[in-house]
Amino acid sequence: MSIVEVPNEPDTLTRITTGNAQLDAILGGGFPANSINILMGEPGSGKTILAEHLIFANARIAGRPIVYLTTLSEPLEKIVRYLQSFDFFDEDRLATGAIIYESLGADLEANGIAALVPRLEEIIKTRSPRIVVIDSFKAIHDVSPSLPDMRRMLYQLSGLLTAYETTAFLIGEYSDDQVSVFPEFAVADGMVELARKKLGTRDERYLRVLKLRGSNYQEGLHAFRITTDGLDVFPRLTSPVLPLSYPFNEARLSTGIAGLDKMLDGGLWAGGAILLEGESGAGKTTLALQFILEGLQRGEPGLYVNFQENPIQLARTIQSLGIDLEDAKRKGLHFLYASPVELQIDSILVTLFRTIEEQKVKRVAVDAIGDLVGAATDLTRLYNYLYALVQHFVVRRIASVMTLETGPGRGPMIGPVSVQSDVIVRLQLERHGNTTRRTLQVVKARGTNHDLDVKDLRITSSGIEVT
Amino acid sequence: MGAGGRGDGLARVLFVERDPHLRALEAHFFGEAGYAVEFAADGQAALERARASLPDVVITEILVAKLDGLALCRQLKADEKTRGIAVVVFSILASSARANEAGADAFLMKPLAEQRLLGTVRKLLEKRPAAKIPEQSL
Repeated sequence: MSIVEVPNEPDTLTRITTGNAQLDAILGGGFPANSINILMGEPGSGKTILAEHLIFANARIAGRPIVYLTTLSEPLEKIVRYLQSFDFFDEDRLATGAIIYESLGADLEANGIAALVPRLEEIIKTRSPRIVVIDSFKAIHDVSPSLPDMRRMLYQLSGLLTAYETTAFLIGEYSDDQVSVFPEFAVADGMVELARKKLGTRDERYLRVLKLRGSNYQEGLHAFRITTDGLDVFPRLTSPVLPLSYPFNEARLSTGIAGLDKMLDGGLWAGGAILLEGESGAGKTTLALQFILEGLQRGEPGLYVNFQENPIQLARTIQSLGIDLEDAKRKGLHFLYASPVELQIDSILVTLFRTIEEQKVKRVAVDAIGDLVGAATDLTRLYNYLYALVQHFVVRRIASVMTLETGPGRGPMIGPVSVQSDVIVRLQLERHGNTTRRTLQVVKARGTNHDLDVKDLRITSSGIEVT
Repeated sequence: MGAGGRGDGLARVLFVERDPHLRALEAHFFGEAGYAVEFAADGQAALERARASLPDVVITEILVAKLDGLALCRQLKADEKTRGIAVVVFSILASSARANEAGADAFLMKPLAEQRLLGTVRKLLEKRPAAKIPEQSL
């Protein structure tokens, strides 16, 4: 007799999406279906928003419902009121019963923690929920006589949730020191922490995965912002897995400046990185722009990233080189501008990569990496990011230019960054009495028989000339 | 010989399951669907019960005491008296191949999704002309 093997229904997902593709990627595809997960963080950290975005992303009008249970912290009415300010909110999901909000507050107040398991069993029997959220789970401790009582209740709760095909999210304002004490952490299959750090006048928000059974998740701190779309997540940049061998391309790319190409014995290797260092006014921005514009002439889309000149100032600089800005954009010129006041490195780098992937960018200029130092809460993290960034460019055969302003008070970036660069070009302003002369020197060029001499650099109406 | 119902005409399901939460949920969903439900906590008790009451369906976990679910299945299928009972292996183990070798009629993995389990039981009962399929499970 042939056996009837019942396959998983389409409704039985291997992974539960969070509604955010970047967060799903961090989790290795989403939360595992049929797991018990804790979302933890101080008030205002974004954990409820994460949960709500998740439930709206998974709610299906014709499918099994999602049940959101409030307990003893925020009243249900308040949660639903503020929920409506988010773009992911869909009233139909509530009206049709795809998402059901209920309060456990009265039961918990009247009967303590003993109310939870029977109530949840009743909900499973009557609603058949695909996802269950309990918010705040930590608040339930306030009606528990003791931790051992809580532990006994959790044993029953996890048994019930494990028996039934549902994915659970327990939300709580837990602190790190409670992870080893509170029994819910022992039964959880997944734990995600949301936190924020004060940096000057602004907050930087991070999330990290503390545990996620059966998942190849990305460790470390991942930055995020809260928007009307929910969480905008910026996965931590890590070095790419380099292929065991990738084709070594002998071809050199023109920098756009004939004299510099000659000094570099023909130009830059594809995937090579140039560091342009020099004081303010030496010509770094103009040279970086010319590098990008040269690529456009060759059909290579380019991305210019800068933190100093706003778009209008940049447009003037480009036009002063005799370039039609709109024409350049049509040929594949893209800009990424971030105000130095509001820099968050993670968001910049993720946006940079998105643009590179979406627009098939082949040349990138970052002007100036020294501005990232001021925005970094952790210099080691910044250097690691820059290293990973350059490695990604190498693997993708993207040629890059990074500018670094040198001079008094400009910080110790030169060491770590210069090690990563294939070519270091130093631009200087030499002052003799009332005259000032711009110069250029190739200080380093890996694998290249480069010209070591100091050359004159002139900025003309058609760009930089090196003689 | 096929399995037969009792005088009340309800199709009967014997669950072999230790987990109290699962038992409570199975009793509820199958009761609501119109089945007569009974339970055994171990394979040996289940075998004796099945021989005595001839349920229409046995739904068994593999990991039960005294006589595991696969051995139970083999014994039910080897006995002319109980051969007609439909056996569903419903387990935490991904053992469809072993369930097939043991002669099971269907295999599902836990956790419990009531519509899937009810649907499986219904399909198996449809193959048995003597079985009365509850209207609520239609």
